[in-house]
Amino acid sequence: MKKNRKKRLFGVFLVVGTSSLGVGLILFALNSNLDYFLTPSELQTNDDNLVLSANRRVKLGGMVKKESFSINNNKVIFEVTDYENSIRVIYEGLLPDLFKEGKGIVVLGKYDDGIFYADEVLAKHDENYMPPSLEIN
Amino acid sequence: MIGEISHFLAFSSSVIFIACFTLSFFTYFGRDRLSFFVPKIFVLGSITLIISFLLFVFLAVSDDFTMSYIASHSNSKLPVFYKITSIWSAHEGSLFLWVLIISLWGLFFLFFRNQESTNYYAQTIGIISLVVSCFLIFLLFVSSPFERILPFGVPDGADINPILQDPALAIHPPMLYLGYIGFIIPFAYVSAFLANGSFKDFPIVEIKSFILSSWIFLTLGIALGSWWAYYELGWGGYWFWDPVENVALMPWLTGTALLHTTYVSAKSKNLIAWTIFLSILVFTLSLFGTFIVRSGIIESVHSFASDPTRGLYLLGISAFLVFAPLVLFVKNLPRLLSINRIRDLSKEFFIGANNIFFITAVFIIFLGISYPLIIEAFSESRVSVGSPFYNKVFAPLTFLTAFFLVFSTYSKWSRNAKSLEILKSSSFLILVTTILSMITIFFIKKYEWWLIGGIFFSNLILIRYLILFIYSKFSKKYINKGSALAHVGFALLILSVSLNSALSTEKTTIMSVNDVVDFNEYQIKFDRVSIETSSNFESLSADFIFENGNSSFTLFPEKRRYFVRGEITTESAISIKPLKDIYITIGEQQSNGKWIVNIQENYFVRLIWFSAIIMSLGTILVIRQKIYV
Repeated sequence: MKKNRKKRLFGVFLVVGTSSLGVGLILFALNSNLDYFLTPSELQTNDDNLVLSANRRVKLGGMVKKESFSINNNKVIFEVTDYENSIRVIYEGLLPDLFKEGKGIVVLGKYDDGIFYADEVLAKHDENYMPPSLEIN
Repeated sequence: MIGEISHFLAFSSSVIFIACFTLSFFTYFGRDRLSFFVPKIFVLGSITLIISFLLFVFLAVSDDFTMSYIASHSNSKLPVFYKITSIWSAHEGSLFLWVLIISLWGLFFLFFRNQESTNYYAQTIGIISLVVSCFLIFLLFVSSPFERILPFGVPDGADINPILQDPALAIHPPMLYLGYIGFIIPFAYVSAFLANGSFKDFPIVEIKSFILSSWIFLTLGIALGSWWAYYELGWGGYWFWDPVENVALMPWLTGTALLHTTYVSAKSKNLIAWTIFLSILVFTLSLFGTFIVRSGIIESVHSFASDPTRGLYLLGISAFLVFAPLVLFVKNLPRLLSINRIRDLSKEFFIGANNIFFITAVFIIFLGISYPLIIEAFSESRVSVGSPFYNKVFAPLTFLTAFFLVFSTYSKWSRNAKSLEILKSSSFLILVTTILSMITIFFIKKYEWWLIGGIFFSNLILIRYLILFIYSKFSKKYINKGSALAHVGFALLILSVSLNSALSTEKTTIMSVNDVVDFNEYQIKFDRVSIETSSNFESLSADFIFENGNSSFTLFPEKRRYFVRGEITTESAISIKPLKDIYITIGEQQSNGKWIVNIQENYFVRLIWFSAIIMSLGTILVIRQKIYV
């Protein structure tokens, strides 16, 4: 009986242990993969925010600044602006077909030392799309 | 007039379904004779509803633009096929289809069940009637497609969104709905079982074919959506971990878990409480999916017309429907828990273990969907959960599932096995797989952990079933062909997804006419741009000549502007090669007159959808097999 109980206790510990480890890992992965949505001004001013540590993925929303777009060595370079501040974006990959200077855009990536390194660029499939925080102003 | 008749019939059917539920309710109190009438009334209600829907289809086909819904979603220039599919291109009509499909599943259940010996069928039908009535009331009073524009209507309709004018997407919603709603059968059946309160036997095996066929519909529905997104949206991807995709994946994963535990419950009377819980959960998740999609609570790239009040109603309905079964389940849980333990390393053991992984996956998706909502509620930040999270967490989970799947093929129902024995008999398999995977990796020359895992585990499953198949040919030993085929499909899915992400390449470039760029083994020349006008759109078509040594082919990506709505869409151009797709799209013309051109080589992307078909075919074979207890 006693041995049986010990075995069961061990089993309970094993289950609780592994599942809390699993949940912990998942939450950790979740937290480090949360994309905060910011405008260029917010990104430039909120320096102390945890959001801006160099290896945190951020979503930057705004307009593609006119005459800022170029392609160099397979790297796409453009500026995202909210008409107050703008941030230079460097990106390697596919551009959405609705990408156009002067139109709304959302880029995902990391912000480091004044430059935004994007690994995803999205333009909503809607002509009237504006990043939410620009819409309010 | 026809519109009013359709409206009236829909209303009448709701009354009939409520009556049907009420009658079935009395059968719980010993009025067994009423069981005879319940199905009859249900059939009457369903016929009324079907006629109502057909009349609505007739209105859409005959361009009755005095109907407000048809006026805003159809157009006289559309082909008849799209006039019909325009019905489910927006909220009200989709809901009408949704309601219709609930009643259709009820009819399937009545006619395809085992006529002699299905338990609780009257009560099951009663619960289905309750669900139909709830959604019918929602349809009639909150989101009615029957409204008229008085007095004369409009001369022509506002057209269906052009990206929805596509055969794959026309049948995608009905397919998906058939899948989602099919899980109402286990839900209603299990609820009836719980409400009856006699727990001597749990005859879930009676509805096994309904669970399997809903799963097939859901699988094909999701695959269709993925295929459509690939060629129509111009991103060249097949899965984006978008909330709308995720809410379809949750019932799919739970449904997969359910169809496996159904076998455990049928064969060895184990995991009964778990199977009941899953039956309730799958349908809850299907309802949750509609709520998420229709309420607009979560930002998604798929923009459905959404409305928070509708969401609230849907949430209310879902909560109402699920509440009683859940309470009954919890109340009777002690009586449902099976006394016989699952034997170590038996088939039940492995299926149970994989169930844990399936539900973990569902939990992860749920977390990914709800976490941003929680954060937004408590702080100013707007956040979302990106695909890296899902990729990171799903790869190891999939590998674990594959691992347990392979070892389950060494186990037996209700029999102990020794881990050492399993290891011994699988050592040859593991050796062969390791060598083969190493060779593959050597050729690919990429050493990502997920790629190594993906190749190893898919090979493990494929080789295992190959061995089993050859073995069964020589020894005349029984092999469950359907299950084997479905699992081979699963292995092909892992393989194709891994190889696709490892091998595919892409390039964005900016080109003027006559420019030439290099992309992998191709030289691509931007030959010319031409403008063509078609009946309902004008298109800007670009010609790109691909040259590769002595062979060459031309692709014509387009940008289209549809006249009625002024919407601009991208038409990708795809050349399908044996192992890969060459995929090209053009973007907007930039201020310096040049065009952004996206070119991709997508390896094995066809195999991804093909594997969904293989899984479905396997499952079809399984439907036709009997479960021997």
